[in-house]
Amino acid sequence: MSGPAWTVTPAERYELSAEHALAYVPPDGAFALYNDYAQRRSVLVPTPSPVRPEDVVATWRDQLVGPPPRRLAPQETVEGYGTFTFPYGPVSMGVPESGRFDVITYGERILELGPLGGYKSRHVLNALAGATIEDAALRIERLAGNVSASHVAAFLAAAESARGESVPRSELWVRALAQELQRVYNHVHVLARIAEAASQNVGSAQSHALAEEILRLQGRAFGHRWLFGALLPGGPARHLDPPDRKALDRELQRCAREFDALWELFLDSRTFIDRIQSTCPVDRASAVHWGGVGPTLRACGVRWDDRLRVPGPPYNDLFLALPEERDGDALARLLVRVQEVRASFLLIEQMLDRWPPGPGSPEPASSPVLPGRGLGRVEAPSGDLVYDVSVANGKLASVSARTPSQANWPLFALGMRNAVFTDFHFALESFGLLFAETDR
Amino acid sequence: MPSWIERSWTRGILTTRYPRTPASEAETPATARAPVPPQGAPIPPSAVASCPVEAISPRGVDQGRCIRCARCLTQGLRLDGAAESAVSARSELLLPAGGGTTRPTAPLASLGRSLHLFLVDVGSCNACNLEVVALANPFYDSQRLGLFFTNSPRHADVLLVVGVPTEPMVEPLRRAYEAMPGPKAVVAIGACPISGGAFRGNPGLRGSIDELLPVDVYVPGCPPTPIQILDAILRLRGAGRREG
Repeated sequence: MSGPAWTVTPAERYELSAEHALAYVPPDGAFALYNDYAQRRSVLVPTPSPVRPEDVVATWRDQLVGPPPRRLAPQETVEGYGTFTFPYGPVSMGVPESGRFDVITYGERILELGPLGGYKSRHVLNALAGATIEDAALRIERLAGNVSASHVAAFLAAAESARGESVPRSELWVRALAQELQRVYNHVHVLARIAEAASQNVGSAQSHALAEEILRLQGRAFGHRWLFGALLPGGPARHLDPPDRKALDRELQRCAREFDALWELFLDSRTFIDRIQSTCPVDRASAVHWGGVGPTLRACGVRWDDRLRVPGPPYNDLFLALPEERDGDALARLLVRVQEVRASFLLIEQMLDRWPPGPGSPEPASSPVLPGRGLGRVEAPSGDLVYDVSVANGKLASVSARTPSQANWPLFALGMRNAVFTDFHFALESFGLLFAETDR
Repeated sequence: MPSWIERSWTRGILTTRYPRTPASEAETPATARAPVPPQGAPIPPSAVASCPVEAISPRGVDQGRCIRCARCLTQGLRLDGAAESAVSARSELLLPAGGGTTRPTAPLASLGRSLHLFLVDVGSCNACNLEVVALANPFYDSQRLGLFFTNSPRHADVLLVVGVPTEPMVEPLRRAYEAMPGPKAVVAIGACPISGGAFRGNPGLRGSIDELLPVDVYVPGCPPTPIQILDAILRLRGAGRREG
C-alpha cells in the first residue's frame, strides 16, 4: 500500500482533550453522564486544565496533512488465496465526490476497506492566516457547502470566544434556524440516496423532491439555496420579517406532513427495511473508542448531542427530543435521522413561534481557552463539529477544525469489514460522510 | 405498492415548464443573479474595495469570479443579472461598467439531441455536485429533455466539471476527458473551475480549468442553480433544439 502510515489518535483522546480545553474534566463513564438529561446543566466545571490546548489542536491538525492519497481510517493488510486490492475512485459517478476507496477482496466479500482522501484538498484553513473574520467566514462556508451553516456557526462562535465579543441574541437564533433547516435537508437527502441505492424509485424521487423544497425555502428565506452568506454581517437576507416567518412556518409544516407520510410508506416497504437492516453495523464500544459522532453515535445507544451538552440560546429555551437507537446498523442510523428530522421541524416551529422581537440582549461568548484563542462547537447534521480559532491584532492567526466526517470515517471502514459490494452505498450514505470536510 | 401510486397521484406534477417558459421566482433565489454595475455610471471605488474576490474592477463585474456574497449591494450594485447566465467564452462573463449585457445570441456548438452527462468533482464544496444531481429530481427531471447521467466517461458526451482544480485531480480529470468519445463538450460549473472562486490563490491549486481542458460553456455562480446548469447544457444543443 502506498501512502503514509496510519497516524490517527484514538478519538476518545481528543474528545477528552477538548473537554480539558473547555476546562471540563469528565468523570469515569463520561458518556453515561449524558444519558442523564437532568445533569446536562452541570457539565461545565471550572477546573484547571491539565492538558495544554496547544497539544489538543496539534493532534487535530496533524491528523490530516500530507500528500494524497491519505488514509482516513485504519487499514490492516489482509492476505490470502485470491485476495487483491480493488481501487474505486477518485472519479466515479456512484459517489458524487472525489475520493478513493481501496477495497481488499477476493470477489464478492469486502475483507478490508480503506477510504483515501486528499484529492480535493483546497488548503482552506491553512490559507486563512492573516484574513479578517468576515473574509474567512466566506471561505469556511464554502468548505462543505451542504453543511455550511454549521461550519460558519462553529467558526463564528470560536472567533467570538477568542475575541471576547458578545453576540446579539437574535443572531444566535438565526444561526440555529439555519442549522436546523440544513439538518432537515441533509437528513432527507440521506434518505433519498439510500432509497435510490435500494431502487425505491418512487420513494427516492419523492424524497429528492422534498429535499429540493427545503432548498427552495432556504433560498426564499435567506436569499441563497445553500445559506452562503446568510449568517454573516451584510448577508443577503438576514432579517426575517414576521410575514416571512409566517410563510416559512406554513411551508415547513406542510413539508413536515409530507415527510411523515413519506416515511410511513417507506416503513411499509419490507424490501427496503430488510436491505438496510444489519448493514454495516458499528458496535457501541468501537463507536466510543474511535470517537464517532452524531447520528452514528446515537444509533449505537450513546445519547451525545452538542445541542444538549452545553445548551446556549436558543436551545435552552426550546424543547428538543434526542433520539436514540441501539443496533448501530444502517437502519438504526436512518431511524435516528428520521426522528431528528421530526425534532428539527418541531424546533423550527417553536423558534418561529417565539422569535425574539428585536436584536435582544447581547449574549457573552464562551470564555476563551487561552487569551486570543477560542473553541466553537456545534452539532452539525453528521455530528459534533469543533473549530479552534486564534486571533491576533483583529486578524486570524490560525484556524483548525475537527469535522464529523473526520471522526466517522474509521467507523465506516470498520463496519464495512465482511460486508459485500452491494452494501457499499447503503453504508456510505447512512453515515453522511463528506470528503469535502476532510480534504480541507 | 398501491399507496405509492396514490401518493404520486396526489402530489401532482412538480416538474418545471422550463425551458418552454422562463425560470420562475422559486427557481431563482436572489443570489442566483449576478451583481450588475449601475446603469450609465462608473463603478464606485467603494464597491471595488468591498469585493473579497476581486471580481469587481473599474472595468466591470467579472461573473466568473463572483461568489455572490452580496457585499457590494450596500455599495450601489444590485443582484440583477440574467437568470440564465451561461456563456461560451470566458471574456463574455464580464459585465461592463455603465451597464449593457454581453450575453451572446449565437448558438453554441451543436451536439445533437440526447446528451449523456458525466460529472467530475476536482475540488468542490459539494454544493455544485448536489445542484447537478438535483437535475434528476422531479422538479427539473432532466430525462424529459433527453439528458442522462452516465456512470462512465466512455458513454458520456458532456463533461461537467465542478470545483477548483486541485493538483491531485489534474491527472484523473485529463484521463476522464480522454476516455470520452468525440464529439464531446466540457461545461465548467460555478466560480471555482472558472477562476478558483473563493479559494483563488491557495497553494496546491490550478488557477482555472482553462489551463487543463478546452471549455465549451461557462456557468457562473456559487453555486449556479439547477436551472442555470440546465440552460448551459441545453445551449450545447444549439438554437431550436432546447426543448428536445
